[in-house]
Amino acid sequence: MSRLVLKFENAVLKEVSLGTRPVTIGRAPDNDLSIDNLAVSNYHARVYTEAGSLVVEDLNSLNGSFLNDIRIERAMLKDGDTIQIGKHQIWVDQTRDAAGFSNGARKAPAPRVSETMVLDTRQRREMFEQAAAAGERSQLSPDRLRVPTLTVLRGRTDKKEYRLAGKLTVIGRSPMATVRLRGWFTPNIAAQINKHEDGYYLGRGDVVPKINGVEIRALTKLDDGDLIEVGRVRLNFLYRD
Amino acid sequence: MGGEAHGEVASTLAVETIVGHCQQAENSRATPTFGESKTDVSERTNRLASAIHLANRKVYEMASSNPGHRGMGATIVAAWVEEQKLSLAHVGDSRAYLLRAGSLEQLTADHSLVAEKVRIGILTPQEADASELQSVLTRAVGTNENVEVDADEQMLLAGDSLLLCSDGLSRMVTDPEIASILLTSISAQNAADRLVDLANENGGVDNVSVIVLRVQPKAEGVLDRLKIWKRNSG
Repeated sequence: MSRLVLKFENAVLKEVSLGTRPVTIGRAPDNDLSIDNLAVSNYHARVYTEAGSLVVEDLNSLNGSFLNDIRIERAMLKDGDTIQIGKHQIWVDQTRDAAGFSNGARKAPAPRVSETMVLDTRQRREMFEQAAAAGERSQLSPDRLRVPTLTVLRGRTDKKEYRLAGKLTVIGRSPMATVRLRGWFTPNIAAQINKHEDGYYLGRGDVVPKINGVEIRALTKLDDGDLIEVGRVRLNFLYRD
Repeated sequence: MGGEAHGEVASTLAVETIVGHCQQAENSRATPTFGESKTDVSERTNRLASAIHLANRKVYEMASSNPGHRGMGATIVAAWVEEQKLSLAHVGDSRAYLLRAGSLEQLTADHSLVAEKVRIGILTPQEADASELQSVLTRAVGTNENVEVDADEQMLLAGDSLLLCSDGLSRMVTDPEIASILLTSISAQNAADRLVDLANENGGVDNVSVIVLRVQPKAEGVLDRLKIWKRNSG
């Protein structure tokens, strides 16, 4: 039985089991996991299951939700991941141990990407400002058209978000790239995304990109929430309404 | 299609029309486009698709107005490469393959009855290979007044090999054999020759058309960029 464990400075506060229903997280008391702290929005995030995978989704919160130190909108979760909301941490536990509040006998959370990502204060402040400027976002509705987008989590790019409109999306320094990277030694064509009938596929360029920390071996299909790494650039692939 | 002689006429007319239309468009921006423009590919890719629409019209008109040519048609796969960008368009079961980092990938989806059935899921790839209806096409150039052209684009990388071929090759030579030849040939021409030889060796009765394109790395590298920078600042 999977569960989410809420911790504050290493002290376990509460936990909730993950069943088939989504789990909501926020300051309001009617959340499944309610956190009484001003840095937490009333309805801050939620965790749900989609196609067999566990997904965390930020609900347009003021201060953002972070997964293993990277700010996310929506991302897949694995056993051992830690979601940070304000100063609180929510640990994803998918081991079969019995429930209990012991915080000693657990294995260390495995890092989800190949190196630990820590945003410095300047980047974090920039993201807060960006979130404040973003304004309203429409409520999620499964019936709406879902637009594939790439959100830049880290790295020097010409924009912070890109809509994938074409059959070919090039990521690189080249002037014909959609996601234009900066950097003296960045390759012209670092990676590319092809639209096929059944979805979007990430392919290599002069760099072998990673999806959720794993180097791709051939053209690989992108799922909603996937984290793409191209060199030092980090992108979140999302279907937006 | 439509017998050897007619197939020749249709193919030749199609190729001449496509090349002519693309060349004309390069020289004159006022060149009209044929067929619906697609919003998800570039201008050049749309131009290539437009060329195939025009070719379809021309072959169809010739077939309709010439009782001797009735039923003639052709399949087409066309590639247009500029800098590193590949524009690809096709109608029928002629194919484009890309060999990259030791892996072979078929870039085009066959417009044949069995391939469509496999895509829907009512036939397995093995059943398709054994089927007697393999050469039945769902789309061709010149058999209908209008045709739907598949168009796509890719960035090519140094070390890539691009293969364009008619079904005469893909029916007689397996994908692993194709990959092996592309990987081990000393030149593009050598690869093309070996592919045709193998198709004939394996009992190829059909015409085999093959084009192999190899992408070489450019001489320019980091050192060249540094040199340029120094010149500008000095």
